[in-house]
Amino acid sequence: MKVLNKNKLPAVFDKLAQQSELFVPLQKKEQSGFYSWKSFDQASDQLALDLLNVYLPPKQVLLPQTEKMYSFRQEEGGVAISEVYEESQARVIFGIRACDLQAINCLDQAFLTRGFVDEYYKARRDNTTIVASACYKPGANCFCSSMGVDPLEPAGADAIIRDTGSEFFIWEARTPAGEELSRQLAEYLEEKELPLPQSQAFERQVDMEGVAEKLSQVFSSPLWEELSDACQTCGICTYLCPSCYCFDIQVKNQGEAGYRFRCWDSCMYGEYTMMAGGHNPRASATERFRNRFLHKLEFFNERYGMPLCTGCGRCIIACPAGIDISKIITAAKEADWSA
Amino acid sequence: MHNCNCENPLVPQIVEIVKIIDETPDVKTFHVRNENGVPFDVRPGQLAMVSLLPVGEGMFSVSWQEEKEHLQFAIRRVGLMTDELHSVGVGHKIGVRGPYGNGFPVEACQGKDMLFIAGGIGLAPLRSFIKYCLKHRSDYGKIQVLYGARSYADLCFKDELFDLWPKEKDTEVFTTLDRPEEGWDGHVGLIPSYLEELNPAPEGKVAVICGPPIMIKFALKSLEKMGYNDEQVITTLEMRMKCGIGKCGRCNIGSEYICLDGPVFNLAQLRKLPPEW
Ligand SMILES: Cc1cc2nc3c(=O)[nH]c(=O)nc-3n(C[C@H](O)[C@H](O)[C@H](O)COP(=O)(O)OP(=O)(O)OC[C@H]3O[C@@H](n4cnc5c(N)ncnc54)[C@H](O)[C@@H]3O)c2cc1C
Ligand code: SF4
Ligand code: SF4
Ligand code: FES
Repeated sequence: MKVLNKNKLPAVFDKLAQQSELFVPLQKKEQSGFYSWKSFDQASDQLALDLLNVYLPPKQVLLPQTEKMYSFRQEEGGVAISEVYEESQARVIFGIRACDLQAINCLDQAFLTRGFVDEYYKARRDNTTIVASACYKPGANCFCSSMGVDPLEPAGADAIIRDTGSEFFIWEARTPAGEELSRQLAEYLEEKELPLPQSQAFERQVDMEGVAEKLSQVFSSPLWEELSDACQTCGICTYLCPSCYCFDIQVKNQGEAGYRFRCWDSCMYGEYTMMAGGHNPRASATERFRNRFLHKLEFFNERYGMPLCTGCGRCIIACPAGIDISKIITAAKEADWSA
Repeated sequence: MHNCNCENPLVPQIVEIVKIIDETPDVKTFHVRNENGVPFDVRPGQLAMVSLLPVGEGMFSVSWQEEKEHLQFAIRRVGLMTDELHSVGVGHKIGVRGPYGNGFPVEACQGKDMLFIAGGIGLAPLRSFIKYCLKHRSDYGKIQVLYGARSYADLCFKDELFDLWPKEKDTEVFTTLDRPEEGWDGHVGLIPSYLEELNPAPEGKVAVICGPPIMIKFALKSLEKMGYNDEQVITTLEMRMKCGIGKCGRCNIGSEYICLDGPVFNLAQLRKLPPEW
């Protein structure tokens, strides 16, 4: 098998960063997330390949928090489009976990299927190579295995690294793009036989069996009020979620010129569905809360055949009100909704 | 499914406003085209995102496509972008992107008697279906249009309502105002009650409804009372929209996106969705 010495990671990253924009999990002071290797500051940053889970998910690599769509200029009698932006820079995400990769598989469904293709997303996606890190020690809030994700075999990875606990990662190329990385990194890869790591059990587990079907029967249940009671509709859960992808489209005008851009939005905000004249189909926190959890656990499943929650646990850690999606799944499963 | 001519479905094409018709104190119809004519072909009931840069974008039904010549939008002034749009003149350039949405089931309705029920600006989308039926007159049976507004001034498309459509073969137009008004000797009263008065028999008929949510709610009840089954009743839904292509997330009702899977649904389909419409 091929193995990669951990001591060589900085050199490996420098090499990868020559040809592409490389994103790796970093701890930057209080914050952790997937950052460009270019931003790595030896004095204050640490590589966080073993952190479960870095706070900021890698979705911004494919769906930036804000991105320019096109620019325009005002002319006599109207307007002209000047430039349609397209990001075609090659990218590598290194060290993504199976849950976050499954979230990208969800984004692929939303942005690339069903009639229309989102060209902005596609341009990035087509140029992105993914090196996933297999998880052998799930974190306290992880429950990906309950959501149909195999933490040892991250689905959709171009290459996989496995932490043996020694100074080596096992390196496995899985696709032609992964083989290409193996060639690029040939000088750093060694041949060595090492035992596979032992995987540990999940502390947090839920039973999703039948939950989507059950939820489809209970839209009008008063239990939603109880479940949503503590929610402050702050939206942190949606921003930190690796699979939440709702966006807003806005305009920035600078004199005669300007640009249209899009940015992350959150279904937890009242403005999200507010229409002219004040009609709002999801005016209350309970209605928005219900839509968020039904979208995650029922609607996305109905439409694309997979839940829109991958069990990464971030919303459980971040929610100021203690809302816990794994508990909601269990409540949905066990509740007698007929009441 | 996707027949957008542009490569990137989120980028508008620039068109020129070639004609503006004042319909009511707050509705104008805009005819738009580029140098080649229509920027894209639409089916009756489909949508387009109209973009007045830099102010904003809004989703509108294409009220009619006149051959390859131009698209028509009937737009009510209700907020930021529509206010501004009402102040521009002929020759002004705006953006449009589309076509979006499923449109009306014009083929499935062939051979049927058609009952169109609209309130206020709700006639804007139905008009594309009405005009399509009249254009393909022999494909459809009897055509009845029931249309109401708050006042005479608030009725859209008056020349078609009072002049053109009633002259068509086997076509009837019924108009009603919410309140009595000097000089109006037509019907007075809300649409659902006028509908029950007229009591059009359901046999062989398709009813198509669009208007304010409250009007739709009561008209649906009346139709049910009159014996229409859920497959015979078609309506169009409105939700806040941004992308128009089923990506941005906000226009969902259950697992359906109104911009992509709608805006047209029959009642049988709607009853399967969560009650958020
Ligand atoms: C499927 C569909 C078909 C429509 N057809 C027509 C039509 O034929 N004629 C017509 O006059 N109006 C129609 N509308 C309503 C029209 O989209 C809104 O009136 C318009 O977007 C308001 O824009 P504004 O900037 O003036 O209002 P503001 O209140 O200033 O808008 C703020 C933001 O909210 C959005 N918004 C506000 N109201 C709506 C709404 N009802 N639906 C979607 N987005 C909204 C705007 O696009 C904008 O992004 C339709 C809406 C939908 C969803
Ligand atoms: S993080 Fe918690 S409080 Fe904030 S919107 Fe999400 S569920 Fe509600
Ligand atoms: S809903 Fe919560 S646990 Fe599920 S993927 Fe999103 S952030 Fe992770
Ligand atoms: S408008 Fe974006 S999903 Fe429908």
